[in-house]
Amino acid sequence: MWSWRRRSRERDLEREIQAHLDWEADEQIGRGLPPDEARYAAHRAFGNPTSIREICREGWGWTSLETVIQDLRYAWRMPRKNAGATAMAVLALSVGIGVNTAVFTAFNAVALRPIQAAHPQQLVNIHRTEPDDPSAERFSYPDYLYYRDHSQSFSGLIAATGDSLALRAAPAARRVTSLPGRISSLVGFQFPRQLSGSAEFVAGLFVPENYFLVLGISAVRGRTFLPGQEQDFRNHPAILLSYSFWQRRFSADPGLVGSTLNLNGVVCTVIGITPKDFMGTWVNVPDIWLPMASQPLVQQGFDLLRRPEVNCCRLNGRLKPGIALEQAQAEMSVLAEQLRAKHAAGLKNGGPFTILLTRGSPFGWRPQPQVMATVMLIMGAVALVLLIACANVAGLQLARSAARQREIGIRLSLGAGRRRLVRQLLTESAMVAIIAGGLGLLFTWWTLRLLVVTVADSLPTEWGTLALQVDPDLRVFAYVLLISLAAGVLFGLAPALEASKPNLTSALKDEGASIGGGPGRSRLRDLLVGSQVAVCLFLLIAAGLLVRGSSRALRIDPGFETRHILGLDVEVPPGLGYSAAKAATLKRQIIERLSSLPGVRSVTAGHPPLTGGLRTASVSRDGQRLMVNGRGMAFYYRYAAPNYFDTLGIPIVEGRLFTPEEAEAKTPVAIVSEATARRLWPGRDPLGQRFLLDAIERFSGEVYPAALTVQLIGVAKDIRSVSLAQVDTSAVYLPKPPDQIGDSVLVRTEGEPGASMVEVAREIQTIDSNLVVYAQPLGNLLTGNPAFVFSRLAAIFSTGIGLLGLLLASVGIFGMVSYAVVQRTHEVGVRMALGAGKGDVVRLIIRQSLRPVGSGVAVGLAAAAAASRILSALLFGLNSLDTISFVGVPAFLLAVALLASYLPARRAAPVDPMVALRYE
Amino acid sequence: MLILQTLLLGPMHGHGIARHIQRTSDEVLQVEHGSLYPALQRLDRQGWITAKWEDTERGRPMKFYRLTAAGRKQLIVEESKWKQLARAIAQVMRPA
Repeated sequence: MWSWRRRSRERDLEREIQAHLDWEADEQIGRGLPPDEARYAAHRAFGNPTSIREICREGWGWTSLETVIQDLRYAWRMPRKNAGATAMAVLALSVGIGVNTAVFTAFNAVALRPIQAAHPQQLVNIHRTEPDDPSAERFSYPDYLYYRDHSQSFSGLIAATGDSLALRAAPAARRVTSLPGRISSLVGFQFPRQLSGSAEFVAGLFVPENYFLVLGISAVRGRTFLPGQEQDFRNHPAILLSYSFWQRRFSADPGLVGSTLNLNGVVCTVIGITPKDFMGTWVNVPDIWLPMASQPLVQQGFDLLRRPEVNCCRLNGRLKPGIALEQAQAEMSVLAEQLRAKHAAGLKNGGPFTILLTRGSPFGWRPQPQVMATVMLIMGAVALVLLIACANVAGLQLARSAARQREIGIRLSLGAGRRRLVRQLLTESAMVAIIAGGLGLLFTWWTLRLLVVTVADSLPTEWGTLALQVDPDLRVFAYVLLISLAAGVLFGLAPALEASKPNLTSALKDEGASIGGGPGRSRLRDLLVGSQVAVCLFLLIAAGLLVRGSSRALRIDPGFETRHILGLDVEVPPGLGYSAAKAATLKRQIIERLSSLPGVRSVTAGHPPLTGGLRTASVSRDGQRLMVNGRGMAFYYRYAAPNYFDTLGIPIVEGRLFTPEEAEAKTPVAIVSEATARRLWPGRDPLGQRFLLDAIERFSGEVYPAALTVQLIGVAKDIRSVSLAQVDTSAVYLPKPPDQIGDSVLVRTEGEPGASMVEVAREIQTIDSNLVVYAQPLGNLLTGNPAFVFSRLAAIFSTGIGLLGLLLASVGIFGMVSYAVVQRTHEVGVRMALGAGKGDVVRLIIRQSLRPVGSGVAVGLAAAAAASRILSALLFGLNSLDTISFVGVPAFLLAVALLASYLPARRAAPVDPMVALRYE
Repeated sequence: MLILQTLLLGPMHGHGIARHIQRTSDEVLQVEHGSLYPALQRLDRQGWITAKWEDTERGRPMKFYRLTAAGRKQLIVEESKWKQLARAIAQVMRPA
């Protein structure tokens, strides 16, 4: 580590000193001394060569490299002299850095992930946006073909659409899916369980034949699809399995490639296996890849290839080299206009829309505001923890530098510039920070690996595999290094500046108490203590708000029964050859059989509320269509069996229910919610009124009201079926014909719905064990929606982070305050010698020590109050100030500070004043 | 300052400078020889003296120091500061 220049200087000095000694020895010999004595005299005249060398060395290191090296060596030596405090500092900092890195890595892995392909920077996402339906972003397959054939900007255009498929005759289908893992149950998230079925549903992705070619991905076994094979695939589908599915389900059986699988009743040949964790342009790893050409065969009666109105596919493209994103976008917009003209004017794709191109990413381009808010929150929280850790360490640095005043004073008087000294102290800080960063990185890897493994294990197989690349990359390294250094400078600068103030005389007299440790004279220390308190308080209060908010969301009454309902999803796996009539008969049998079970109060065919699948219709009253913004006002409607209301516990406040005869005969009657009645007939009696319903969304294969005039026979209580956040603005119920049994059955149980699952499973299996049935208590459905899960996760995370911050802050405050009081021991002695009572002195010290904590509390509370205002606007279910957090946390921190100042003050007080005075 | 003044007389090595200061001050300024070296290093760094190894008549090579032009100027500056200080002290000590 020694530079050559330094080495040569050392040698030169050595030579000079030796020459000097020899010269003096010669002179002494000349005066008549014997050689030994001469040498001894020469040494004596010279002085201590070692200290001379040291002093010369001190003066040498002026070149920056030598400076840095010397600083580093010094920095390495110093902390070891104070191992305990340094270890604490490193630990605190590594936790702060580790947590930050973990969040950043996760964010990196999820959000900034590019598409797994060759040259991903050439890939773009292609979206369409409609003015009044921002969530629409997909294209129909014929449209895709049009773009593919007519665009010049892309070297390849690909599409993808996913669906679940029934896999049969594979090694025995599981009866019950994997149980939820620890993490998901912590969040209160339960997955549906498969109760019955001779098939299992797997996640499939349909892609055009050029998909793998455009992405530049080849199979790890066998081969991928190639362009030009459409003809073959039309009648003889070939499929690819994902690596994880192959491993998980078929134990990586090498003989599988070339054999066949039965999907939806169609025999498909397995031609290859895709690379590990390859998800292409999709969000998660599909189990099975199929060619688009096979789609009509595999999904009978649902031919996507010839439906220009069904927007199923997500599009991606690879730009030709030299073509810019904007160019491609312009071209696509022109093509879109041309294409629009070809669609029927009234329908969706004939309406106005725009095309948008964005950088290739597996995710859509528009993150929901709630997701963004949560992410920002998490990053903010961990940054705050890091801040606390830095303040913590800064305090320790300050305390240490106070103890080193003498050494610093010597160096200053020897001519070391202040800047040099500051740089040296900063190097120490930087070294501590980098060590902490290294530890933090380890901490991060371990935690992330643990989390990823746990999460991956707890996801049910039906969801495909969520592959997260949490291996570190250059970005993460750079990030960690950056924040480590930033942290080092942050916590090192202020103490360094303060410590190196040229107050030489008192420093040399070792008045450690007067610099950095003196009463009230260290503004910096007060600032550090106060800021730790403020930040910690803010963090905890915010966390508390989030926790309360999400638990409040649980307690919202949606207006219908949730605790005693089991939701069943009954599906006929395709490929069994059941006719629609047979399927309906089976489902009716199921409903009848289940109704007669003890412990079951009623069973109805119906879709559970709050789970989507909403349909709207425009309403005309007295011949006038209700309009808003030039378009028909949308009213939510649903078909409900006569016992729907009873099963779900929705009271009818006026009028009556449907009768089974009305449902059978498809009588044009309707029930509306209170809010709807108020809107349509304000101030009038709604019963008996007529109105016209015209469905807005029309899906083939579904029943919908087309210009249907109905008569109102009842008014139901308002419920929250669209969103938990607000009561439904409108709801119209139409009688459900008994042969229109969809996929959902709701079972009202007397006791816990989970307890009935075994019986229900048994009954269904005796009716027909081929039917695939999933069951989930309704309560779980509500807590299982993404918005809720997010707010829960945010709450749990921020509580953890908040507690961490509290720990760090408490330790830091305790350390700093007690140290400060210890430094004032001599002051106690002085005051007592001057006649002050012991109690008075102790009280004075405590009061002064608590002052910065008090101001920290004030600042923290103010900041938290402001934050709660902002938070309540963003996240779900938050309002008002939370007393526990706003009172409890400050009290706790004050108690810590009180203890920290009382103990040493009490110990200092009985001391003999003379001892205290002499301490200086 | 004393070193610079000594070198005004001509190039000298470390030992010689120490001896010279001792002698010329009539043995009042007893200086540990070694303590000169950090000072010599500092002066060298500032550019007021230069150093070179040269042979001596005794046969031992010694490191000789010479005054530079900048060093000469610095000597004048230091000397005037010293004279100022001495005058100030004398004025304070003058009998009232």
